[in-house]
Amino acid sequence: MSEIRDPALAARVHLPSPAGAALLSCTSVTKTFGSRVAVDGVSFEVAPGSVYGLLGPNGAGKTTTIKMVCGLLDPDSGSITIAGRSTRGDISVRDLVGYVPQDVALYPDLTAAENLEFLGRLYRLRGSLLAERVSEALALTDLSDRRGDRVDSFSGGMKRRLNIAAGLLHHPSLLVLDEPTVGVDPQSRHAILERVRALQETGMAVLYTTHYMEEAERVCDRVGIMDQGKLIAEGSRRELVARLGEKDRIDLIASGNLEKLAEACRAVAGVEQAAVADGRVHLVAEDGRRVLPALIEAAGRSGVAINSVEVSEADLEAVFLHLTGTALRE
Amino acid sequence: MAASLVIARKDLRQRLRDRSALTIGLIAPVAIAALMSLAFRGADTFHYTLGVVDADHGPVAAGLLQALQQPSLRHVVTVRIIPTEADAARQVKGKEVAAALVIPAGFSNAASGTAQTSLRTLSSVNNTIAASVTESIASSFVAQINADRLSVATAIAAGAPSSAVPDLTAAASKLQLPEQLTQRPLGAHAVKAISYMAPAMAIFFLFFTISFTARSFFVDRTQGMIERMRAAPIRPLEILLGKALSVFVFGVASLTAIAVITSAVFGADWGSPLAAGTVCLAMVIAVVCLTALVIGLARTQRQAEGIASAVIFVLALLGGNFIFISVAPSIMRRIALFTPNGWALRAFTDLSTTGGGMGAVVVPVLAILGFSSVVGAGAVLLARRAVTS
Repeated sequence: MSEIRDPALAARVHLPSPAGAALLSCTSVTKTFGSRVAVDGVSFEVAPGSVYGLLGPNGAGKTTTIKMVCGLLDPDSGSITIAGRSTRGDISVRDLVGYVPQDVALYPDLTAAENLEFLGRLYRLRGSLLAERVSEALALTDLSDRRGDRVDSFSGGMKRRLNIAAGLLHHPSLLVLDEPTVGVDPQSRHAILERVRALQETGMAVLYTTHYMEEAERVCDRVGIMDQGKLIAEGSRRELVARLGEKDRIDLIASGNLEKLAEACRAVAGVEQAAVADGRVHLVAEDGRRVLPALIEAAGRSGVAINSVEVSEADLEAVFLHLTGTALRE
Repeated sequence: MAASLVIARKDLRQRLRDRSALTIGLIAPVAIAALMSLAFRGADTFHYTLGVVDADHGPVAAGLLQALQQPSLRHVVTVRIIPTEADAARQVKGKEVAAALVIPAGFSNAASGTAQTSLRTLSSVNNTIAASVTESIASSFVAQINADRLSVATAIAAGAPSSAVPDLTAAASKLQLPEQLTQRPLGAHAVKAISYMAPAMAIFFLFFTISFTARSFFVDRTQGMIERMRAAPIRPLEILLGKALSVFVFGVASLTAIAVITSAVFGADWGSPLAAGTVCLAMVIAVVCLTALVIGLARTQRQAEGIASAVIFVLALLGGNFIFISVAPSIMRRIALFTPNGWALRAFTDLSTTGGGMGAVVVPVLAILGFSSVVGAGAVLLARRAVTS
């Protein structure tokens, strides 16, 4: 999985849209379930050969958005086009999309090859072409030697890889990955991210949802930050971080009442945002090193002992905190 | 349609890989049909041994023995002469004979005289049918004796000499019994237990396909496979059609295999292959529609299993899969005709007993298809939602 240049990948052709045009275009897309607005006027575009990340906490509307992109849900308003064709009512446009759902969607009582053959046939692949594509997909995900084994004998990481392989069988122009690394060990996660990059280099467009900031920073060319159904910011990592100016990200690892510490930190001059997540207090501040003494003093006043402090340049996590006032993984 | 075939093929592959499918689709129905036909063996033919104690040795007793041993009763009763009433009682108790009839001494004389005497039956609670038949024979014979007495008395009153009474009495006793016990098959042939139980159990276990398929649908949905299929360029109806097709193929294969095995091994009579096949096809269509209805009604796997179980047992109980519906009370027979399996079993019974062809199954098949169309219409509306929600 670590090899990026792959002859099988290089042979792919993913150019159904004119050069320079967006492959996927979402315009003012809205979806409600009862009184809850799951997706609220979201617009973004994904170009061929690029990875677009939808970043946001659980419940932000990422999965609903990609289900509309895949034609599994119809938007209440707005439009979604793939290679200029609307996803509404035209099932043939799904030939252009490879969907990799968040949870592993495979038959545990079938072998890896049987699963892929079944799904390939749904995309009208037959005979030698189907056999070729199954072998190719298994090779791409390093599962060739397990092709005859039942999926219920696979490790979690292997299932994830096969889950991705199933989305690649028909050589889609747009690969939609819904949180593909949730619950995956670090090694498999690394392998999956490498593979996504490799696919992007072949010209495939990738729509990638995650709530892991570091994944978005690593694989995505552009990132859309979603919160409460809205796309609250969009751009490359550099563009998004630049919005913060010269701000720093500060993480306080402390023991005691972290909410009380966050409250105390908010009162410190220079601190813009403070939120608690993952057993830490995350801060965005004008000049991290300058405000540190005041933060330690505030912690002492609130009766919380700080165990360690990390000061770093602003990143997408800081951007999210800056924009929403909450940490990404709250 | 191609996608439906792909889905059906995959479902069948999974089902055949699951050994429980072979058990439910073939082994269990054949085994239970065989066991139930053994249990009901006495219901299609009845034969017993009757002990007779002749303490009279007169002409009337001889007439009764002759009547009991006449050819038309041979397939119902075998007569065994027993010397004494005590021996007869012992043999009834020891189940050596099912019942006994005691012809008391002086029985023939009493028939032509004024002394009162009577036939006695000895029976056991272990064989009430034999007791009833024996009492029936005895009653009808006594009735004939009385009729003979009346005819002799009439002859004497008309001027016959009294010296002719013994001859008249002997002649009257040789007359054939007015009441006879004979088998009454429903049609041209008697229905054999296996010929009823084989299709009854085949249909009952076919119903389990409803539960199996509905459960697998919801497992597919929980595992995200329905969503994954929907992300492919196929329509929701094609997914449903694929599921239905797998039920259809499995059902037809199961019924065909059961019919062949029960016919070849147990001698079950399914009737004309064409007519029986038509009934089987109609029944499988009904099961397909019922499966779709259960999928449409349920929201979860647990609900699907609950609804399917209710459907299976209510239909099996009402339709007559566990009993001979032809001997059930008329209300039960009427209720059975509200079920597709009730109509199917009626058709199979007709095919087995009358030897009829397609003409015998037209009405049942139309009734089953009518049931299917009503259920299927509701199912299509409901089940589409199950796929797309």
